[in-house]
Amino acid sequence: MMDYVIETHDLSKQFGTVHAVSGLNLRVARNQVTGFLGRNGAGKSTTIKMLLGMTHPTSGSGLLLGHSFTDPKQDLEARRKVAYCGEDKQLYAYMTVKQLIHFTASFYPDWRSEVAASLLHQFQLPPDRKVKALSKGMRTKLALLLALARRPALLILDEPTEGLDPVSIEELLQTLSGLPADGTTVFFSSHQISEVERIADRVCIIDRGRLAVDLSLDEIRQDHRRITLSFTHQPPEHLFDMPEVRSIETNGRQMIVVSSHGSDAVVERAKTADAVVVDVAPINLRELFLGTVQDHQ
Amino acid sequence: MMLLYKAWLESRTRFLLGLVALSGLSAVFVLFNHDVRAVVTDQNISYGEYIWRGIFKGQLRDIFVILTLLLGLGGLDRERSYGTAGHTLALPVSRWRLIAARALTGIIETALLAILPATLVPALSPFIHESYPWRLAFQFGALWTVGGILIFAIGFLSSVLFAGEYSAAVAAIVLLFGYSIATDLPGVEHYLVDIHDVMNGSGPHDVTTLAAISIAAAATIWLAGYITSRKDY
Repeated sequence: MMDYVIETHDLSKQFGTVHAVSGLNLRVARNQVTGFLGRNGAGKSTTIKMLLGMTHPTSGSGLLLGHSFTDPKQDLEARRKVAYCGEDKQLYAYMTVKQLIHFTASFYPDWRSEVAASLLHQFQLPPDRKVKALSKGMRTKLALLLALARRPALLILDEPTEGLDPVSIEELLQTLSGLPADGTTVFFSSHQISEVERIADRVCIIDRGRLAVDLSLDEIRQDHRRITLSFTHQPPEHLFDMPEVRSIETNGRQMIVVSSHGSDAVVERAKTADAVVVDVAPINLRELFLGTVQDHQ
Repeated sequence: MMLLYKAWLESRTRFLLGLVALSGLSAVFVLFNHDVRAVVTDQNISYGEYIWRGIFKGQLRDIFVILTLLLGLGGLDRERSYGTAGHTLALPVSRWRLIAARALTGIIETALLAILPATLVPALSPFIHESYPWRLAFQFGALWTVGGILIFAIGFLSSVLFAGEYSAAVAAIVLLFGYSIATDLPGVEHYLVDIHDVMNGSGPHDVTTLAAISIAAAATIWLAGYITSRKDY
């Protein structure tokens, strides 16, 4: 039986008339890297803030490491085992690196000073420099140090590579991809598809507050196909209203169908509609993402 | 303990500026009393009345009011504008503990600022061959502490209600001085206590009044905590 570190049940958040998250049912498996993809404003950050008790859900419930995050006491217990790196990458500007490490360490009894010292050296962070004098990349490294020195069961990152230079992105992705081996589950939001594709074991796509896709990258590679069809007449889109069809794009007399369960059923249907199968190809995450969010528009 | 340390680091600039301003002005009022008298009060009054008019009722009290109001500002809404609220809220501590640490730090700082002129005036007076009773000075120090904590609480609540750095300060000043003006209105004056008059000893300052002010301050801080605990960040 799969063990989940995050489970949400019909989680919703409404800001005035805006539905930021609508009935979200999300499950994140332990000891994996899960990418949380979505367009700007899709509900990624709001979901993460609800998981961490920063924002109160309008309705719904959920568990974070087995603790209800809608219950303040249980949420507090969960936060002892969860580390978070926010989108802003802002830390207390008035503290030095050393002060901030000392401050954060005081909240975690299982803080590993030797790991902190090692990461401080590895990340080349100056201990006596004020946080406000650090670059964005260094602040991200410091946030990562603060997160990893307490060996969290779950590391949640909101747009971790936003604003970083290519070298910093590379170092960050390498660090993240190695964490599940040490027992830390990684859940990170992004709209950088290539980064998710590179390090994630699984991907969840949120669109307009709803979970649109929850698949492993292996499932996407093995099962999803892009089938290009050509017709001598106007393509009959309604014929392809099938459970395995994720999206349909029509361009003149050509139609591109994305199927989630191989190509056989779609090809069979195409033959009955006098279509010529031009091409059947596996799809990548970018195509799946674009097909998903464009289809829902 | 580390939350108190954080609250201290966040407020220390304001506190130390207040410390320098109040101690410097107290020293000037006492040591250069002949020069200052001509400008801010009257030459023909006793030393004790000069101190009361200039310090415990006068300009220094107004400066203290502004300083304590500023000490109340800050907190999670300000952190949100700086982008650090996420880091603070992800710590395994309740929002009530965050509020309590900030409130406790602010109350201690307010008390220290309140006691400063009360200590300096009797201590410096012998240098100009004058004397000022320690007991009387500390009575004013106690009144400033109680009044200052309520003013601090108003700033504290304002920073929860108004997210903007300046809007919270302006709202707190408007509220405080609006209340002060309201206490002078005919028909209302008998029902409201002017906190400024309490602080300078010209208003009611019996134990019941001081207890009521302390309860009002505690209730204001509790309200700020309650709003914070239910807020989305």
